[in-house]
Amino acid sequence: MPHAAATPPAGDLGRVLAQRERRFAAALLAPAFVALLATTTFPLLFLIGTSTFRMDLAMPFADGFVGLENYRTLLADDRFWSSLLVSLIYTASTVVLQVALGLALALLVMDMKRGQGWFRVVAILPVVLSPAVVGMIWRTFMLAPEFGIVDYLAINAGLGSQNWLGDPTLAMVSVVIIHTWQWTPFAFMVLLASLASLPEDIYEAARLDRASAWQRFKRITLPLLRPAIVMVVIMRTMVALTAFAAIFTVTGGGPGTATEILNLYAYRKSFTELSIGYGSALAVALLVVTILISGVLFAMRRAK
Amino acid sequence: MSGRGQVRFEDIVKMHGEFAALKGVTFEIEPGEFFALLGPSGSGKSTTLRILAGLDAPSAGRVYIDGQDITTADARDRDIAMVFQSYALYPHMTVYENIAFPLEMARMSKAEIVPAVQEAARKVAIEHLLQRKPGQLSGGQQQRCALARAIVRKARLFLLDEPLSNLDAKLRLETRTELKKLQRSLGVTAVYVTHDQEEAMTLADRMAVFMAGEIQQVGRPADVFARPNSIDVAAFIGSPPMNLIPARYKDGGIEIAGHRLETSLKESGERDVVVGIRPGAVRIAAGGIPAVVELVEDLGDTAILDLDCSGISIRARVSDGDVPREGTSLSITARAPDIHLFDATTRRRL
Repeated sequence: MPHAAATPPAGDLGRVLAQRERRFAAALLAPAFVALLATTTFPLLFLIGTSTFRMDLAMPFADGFVGLENYRTLLADDRFWSSLLVSLIYTASTVVLQVALGLALALLVMDMKRGQGWFRVVAILPVVLSPAVVGMIWRTFMLAPEFGIVDYLAINAGLGSQNWLGDPTLAMVSVVIIHTWQWTPFAFMVLLASLASLPEDIYEAARLDRASAWQRFKRITLPLLRPAIVMVVIMRTMVALTAFAAIFTVTGGGPGTATEILNLYAYRKSFTELSIGYGSALAVALLVVTILISGVLFAMRRAK
Repeated sequence: MSGRGQVRFEDIVKMHGEFAALKGVTFEIEPGEFFALLGPSGSGKSTTLRILAGLDAPSAGRVYIDGQDITTADARDRDIAMVFQSYALYPHMTVYENIAFPLEMARMSKAEIVPAVQEAARKVAIEHLLQRKPGQLSGGQQQRCALARAIVRKARLFLLDEPLSNLDAKLRLETRTELKKLQRSLGVTAVYVTHDQEEAMTLADRMAVFMAGEIQQVGRPADVFARPNSIDVAAFIGSPPMNLIPARYKDGGIEIAGHRLETSLKESGERDVVVGIRPGAVRIAAGGIPAVVELVEDLGDTAILDLDCSGISIRARVSDGDVPREGTSLSITARAPDIHLFDATTRRRL
């Protein structure tokens, strides 16, 4: 280096400086990188390793390396396929509802002359609650037969008392509503911020160009909100695919397996039936599904 | 298209809470006219345009287009096209789609839209840019795209809100000329908002000068320049601005720095006035007001002199041939028709 510094052509000096900066940047990044490695990458590799073993805490004498045996079992496991289907239905319906309701709310609130600030504060409340707490609130306060608010309203509306969490279809509807209730404010906040950033004057231009309110929404608002909508869909899809706490506290996956999403099935296999190896294989399957779906969504985002 | 696009404003008032943005504005625009709304920022000229477009509603008064009361009509139903100061192009659409948008909204068929868009794009010379998005265009090209979108529909009124203010100086001059040609060839009524008196002077057939929410004067640019009817208009129109000097009027003449100048006002008596003399009307001649040249701004073909006449500062424009040096003593005068007199209290022309 001292030799290079003796007669430094401009480019060389720049390169030396850039190299120094890179080293400093690497030193700053190292702690976070190590922490991530230790808390995400390592457990993930460990999980994949575990999934190639038979590891059954109830029958430890049969434990041992089995290769892809767990995955072969998985493909033939009806309960795996049904939980995957439940996961997909749960994800699709919650995400669609969140985006549709969030967008509708954002459009309404944009037109509010006053009280926008209050509305935002109130709207954000469900998001800051723990999903487990939300689950408890809904199970006891909202959906309990006779005493829950929802059931009380249903009775007064002449629908009669319903077994909200005991009937397979209603239980699924209930967990979808609970997730939507908690997370719509997120979509709402993101879309509201995005809406507020759209320039006022192009709407005025559109009015003079004789576009109706619906045409302005379809031809201008929606295309301009598209990046924000796609982002919300991606983020909410990943969370919905891996949802756990709210369903666990509300139905525990029941009745039967009516609300048993893949995540919950993996949990039950691992920690209720104590088949750690097979449970790990289910978790890896969930990971693969999540990666595939988010891959598709990101491709959509890059497309025009 | 002539015969369409007559506009009448009757006592239009616009309140923003307690603040009156427009205090009873009345004027008329003839069909086919290029009409400028000129005034400093905050004078109400843009508010007037927005009320005409239907983007804002007046607090009182009525607006008529072609004799029809459209005060409460929606912007969509007024058949008005507008070029925004920010251009307001739809950022997600190509230039073609931007220009086609108003036609699609009018439910025209594709067979009609394609040639119409081509034609409008050709008129503003952007036919090679039709597949670009606004973000890929320069400021001048965006401006043309906005123009094309406005002219494609053949609306009865063509509104322009400071369309040149975001362009650089050279492009502004070029576009100014083209704009005038375009308006002539279309024969459409154009209403043009600007704070640049030079733009209004060169473009407009007639103009209205706005000050603090009121129209001070309406007329042909040359008339407004020659006979400003208030001190504020006199100060606003012309570059460099008119010299405005407080003085004493007495029996047809005024006294500045101890020297008497004859005026065209022949009235006996004595009063306080404000004297207006355009820099170009100041003459260097012997036997006038003694002055010292403090500063010379050479503009190439002309020069602006900052003169000190015993404490009163006066600016004069002289042609390049006889520019005195800084520090020179000379004497100045002005012809009686070039001397404007304004009442010192009412600020109106005498």
